[in-house]
Amino acid sequence: MAQKQNAQGEKTRPSGRGNVDVTFLVLVLLLLTFGLIMLFSASYAYAYYHDNDSFYYIKKQMIFAVAGIVAMIVASNFDYRYWQKLALPVMGVAVVLLIVVLFMPEIANVNRWIPIGNLTTFQPSEIAKFAVVVMFAKMVTMYGEKMKTFRYGIAPFLIVLGVISGLMMLEPHLSGTILIATIGIVMMFVGGVDLKWFVLGVGVLAAGIVVVVMIPGVIQYAQARLEYWLDPFADPQGLGFQTIQSLLAIGSGGVMGLGLGNSRQKYLYIPEPQNDFVFSVVCEELGLVGASIIVILFALLVWRGYVIAIRAQDKFGTMLAVGLTTQVGLQALLNIAVVTNTIPNTGISLPFFSYGGTALMMLLAQMGVILSVSRRAALEKQ
Amino acid sequence: MAFPSTTVQMKKRIVALILAISVLGSSVIIGRLFQLQVVQAEDLQKRAARQQMRVTSLSAQRGTIYDRNGEILAMSGTVWTVYLSPVDIDSEEERLLIAKGLSEILDVSEEFVLEKSQRNTYYEIIKKKIERPLADEVTEFVTENGITCVGLEEDYKRYYPYGTLASTVLGFTGSENQGAYGIEAYYDSVLSGTNGQIVSAKNAWGTDMPFKYEKMYEAQNGNDLVLTIDVNIQRFVDKHLEQAVIEHEVQNKACAIVMDVKTGEILAMSTKPDFDPNSPNTIYDENVQAQLDAITDEDARQEALLEAQYEQWRNKAISDPYEPGSVFKIITASAVLEEKVVGLNNSFTCTGSYESGGVVYHCWKLAGHGTQNFAQTLQNSCNPAFISYGQALGKEKFREYFQAFGLTQTTGIDLPGEAGSIYHAEEDFGVTELSSSSFGQTFKVTALQLITAVSAAVNGGELMQPYIVKQVVDEEKNVVSETTPAVKRQVISNETSATMASLCESVVSEGSGRNAQLPGFRIGGKTGTSEKLGANDSDWKILSFVGFAPADDPQIAVLVMLDEPKLDDPYGSTIAAPIVKNMLADILPYLGMEPQLDVDEDTSVEVPYLTDVMLEEAQSQLIDLGLKARIVGDGDSVLKQVPQYGYEIPYGGTVILYTDETELEENVSVPNVLGKTGKQANAAILNAGLNIKIEGEFPDNVQTQVVSQSPLPDEKVQPGTVVTVTVQQVEDTADGASP
Repeated sequence: MAQKQNAQGEKTRPSGRGNVDVTFLVLVLLLLTFGLIMLFSASYAYAYYHDNDSFYYIKKQMIFAVAGIVAMIVASNFDYRYWQKLALPVMGVAVVLLIVVLFMPEIANVNRWIPIGNLTTFQPSEIAKFAVVVMFAKMVTMYGEKMKTFRYGIAPFLIVLGVISGLMMLEPHLSGTILIATIGIVMMFVGGVDLKWFVLGVGVLAAGIVVVVMIPGVIQYAQARLEYWLDPFADPQGLGFQTIQSLLAIGSGGVMGLGLGNSRQKYLYIPEPQNDFVFSVVCEELGLVGASIIVILFALLVWRGYVIAIRAQDKFGTMLAVGLTTQVGLQALLNIAVVTNTIPNTGISLPFFSYGGTALMMLLAQMGVILSVSRRAALEKQ
Repeated sequence: MAFPSTTVQMKKRIVALILAISVLGSSVIIGRLFQLQVVQAEDLQKRAARQQMRVTSLSAQRGTIYDRNGEILAMSGTVWTVYLSPVDIDSEEERLLIAKGLSEILDVSEEFVLEKSQRNTYYEIIKKKIERPLADEVTEFVTENGITCVGLEEDYKRYYPYGTLASTVLGFTGSENQGAYGIEAYYDSVLSGTNGQIVSAKNAWGTDMPFKYEKMYEAQNGNDLVLTIDVNIQRFVDKHLEQAVIEHEVQNKACAIVMDVKTGEILAMSTKPDFDPNSPNTIYDENVQAQLDAITDEDARQEALLEAQYEQWRNKAISDPYEPGSVFKIITASAVLEEKVVGLNNSFTCTGSYESGGVVYHCWKLAGHGTQNFAQTLQNSCNPAFISYGQALGKEKFREYFQAFGLTQTTGIDLPGEAGSIYHAEEDFGVTELSSSSFGQTFKVTALQLITAVSAAVNGGELMQPYIVKQVVDEEKNVVSETTPAVKRQVISNETSATMASLCESVVSEGSGRNAQLPGFRIGGKTGTSEKLGANDSDWKILSFVGFAPADDPQIAVLVMLDEPKLDDPYGSTIAAPIVKNMLADILPYLGMEPQLDVDEDTSVEVPYLTDVMLEEAQSQLIDLGLKARIVGDGDSVLKQVPQYGYEIPYGGTVILYTDETELEENVSVPNVLGKTGKQANAAILNAGLNIKIEGEFPDNVQTQVVSQSPLPDEKVQPGTVVTVTVQQVEDTADGASP
């Protein structure tokens, strides 16, 4: 195919529609299927005892999964390049919603959710994540070689992250903030920020930690969290409870698992097994074999997402795919690390598995965006 | 809008991300999963199982205790435990309803139920061991009101159908069905069996999981015991002993043992007063209860209550050693005869006192017994004579026999709480100790040790191992184990033993044991009156009697011991001997021993006037006369008697006592005794439930024959009717060998 040069010396690209990346699509659908089955199994007992309806969670999740697939199809057919123009409006909406949410009624002492009628709730932080990804992709594309400088490569990014993080810490939502910040930093890394800034960032982070620890009371708090992370069995009824129940479930699974539907720990031992700890039920029922397959599926999805990023037709597509893939990969990694008590407990849900309708819909729509990126790359190959 | 291309640096950095997240991240996670699901799996699975498993115990049914005839002495019945699961209470109204309902049905306070209902648990016991009618009421209450948080659990309760009968032997069980005393305690492991378990899965709320996950380990029920005790004999013994305790105002309890002298089996063992094992903690002695009530300090009262309970459960026959007194002379006599240090022809003159080792001993008969042969010294229970026998025997031989008769060790009977004897140590055993020991003073043995030793003296010389459990039987009635009679050792020879039996018979027929005479039976025995060792008040004594029958071939021995009875007469002969006689009067016929009435003797008695006499009084009059009573009807006093007052009938005859309008419908047909010997006629008529009156002259040792009878054969008469027979001497027959 002939390539034309435009005035700026940039290549002009063929437009139109190519085929979506089938590997990525299959991986998404596989994870979604696994996720729905395991959500049903994990939530079955909890729903039976608490809501008197074993199908309570799966029914809702199924509806959002269907809506999410529709959203995915729409997003994959929507030329991702338009998101570059929509970056600022999306960011504006996110900021407004992050402010609005502070005035919503508290749920569990925090303001993280905005109710949609009586039907469901959604977290503005989901929008914020997407907004940051789109915004950073736009910024990287715009700044080009200037990414190496502090003025372009660091300062504007930190301002955006600062605003978003600041608003989220008001909810407060520490784990979401960490996630968004990490996604942002990964995008800055890929976007071409000079590596010395990362070395410096690590230094600043370390110094920050030292400063925080100096604050009276923090050290005790940190110590307590650290202690029950290292030995959750020291306080089996208190801080360690959730972690212990998760570990007992994982251990009970052994190599082959107790069989689908046969988890015993989901019978009210694991608190809310349909949410963050759904993976411990996966481990109990499917064993090391099943759990590893799911971990590998996530790894493959991340790999394929990054491959799409590498093959993207343009820098914006690359950055978009990197941001969205990183989001899924990090979330899965952190969630499973928490469930297995590899890192201290945060509050990150497992993509495709954890209950949460709007989050699932958002996730599938974002997968659609990645597919959209893959289409244009495919077009170029032709 | 511009669309710059992806740079090479970007692509390189993305590859780094793939390595970091996809490869490194997933490897760490899978490694961690391996650690948890393979390396630590076992430990985590155990911990999980611990919280997920619910273990419900299945009570094993405790074995039944039978007497030797298969009568049930102790059995377990199903009862229920009512429990409440407070966390499952739905509403305040339900809480109040439950408290009200349960308190009414179960006779507990409403506050008690309310207090339990406030607890944050799944299981609070409201009442244990309720029986079926109450359990049904609870079920009805719960169903009617749709209550799901109240439940019933099966349990067992021990029942003792005969109440106080042999209670100190049987013992009782505690609240967890464990044997607490007596046979129940001694054979607890045999009786209790093994509890089973249901292991089921529970969720974190403690309720069962909806799926089937249950493993059951069946309970292994306990084995049954068959005792050597005979309920009927025990009943006879209990009855007479209880009467004696009341009549003689026994201060410190009484006990009795009936032993099969040939096997060592315990046929009956009784302590009076005792308790009802159905409610062992109740104090049955009103005086003791009153004393307890008088104690104001709660702790002191509890302590006193415990002490009183132990006292009331005590099996005196094995737990309280006492001075055997003159009963022990049987042992001394056996030893000297066996050692031939004194012969039956030995003559001893009692002057009323005897000096030995510088101590002067007085005979109980201060005037002295005069010159006596060996048999007479035993008949008279002459202390000086026995001191001299002891001296003749010598210290070492005495100790040897004391030990050989089993008096230095516990008998090893299969009952808990057996006490040993208290006796002089070898180095302290001087002439004085030998003297007093020879007539049964200054040492203590238990009633069981003593009756075992006496049995050995008269059963042919074998010291038997006493035992009370005959068989252990499993649920399917298979015999698991059986106790067989065990001879510990031959103590004296067969001949000496036979001599002892006839000497003891002479004590009853001619000597101090006369009060134990039972017409028609050959009874041997020995009385005992003992000073209590170390007792300040010498007025209090222990009276005892050991009797056995039949004297020519001893089968059973009976020992009665009264600890501190109120004395009108200071000797055991007038108190203890008649008790044994009364027991034997019931026991021997029950064991199928018919009175061997020698019709050649004039053994007839006149039937007393019993009409309008209270039933018990009438019975005891008849027993004293050597007659049997047969009671018809349910009244308290005698309305009519057959035979009438004034009839002369032989010992062992039966008097029918009518206590109400009930008439015996059965008419007895008079047997044909014409041509039979006097003895045959006697047996036939007694067997038919009739009485005999023998007329005619006949000298001793002469064969007699019935020549006429009235009423005539086959005539229908009322039971108890007197049949008059006339006997005549038979001419020597051709083949007659008699001189």
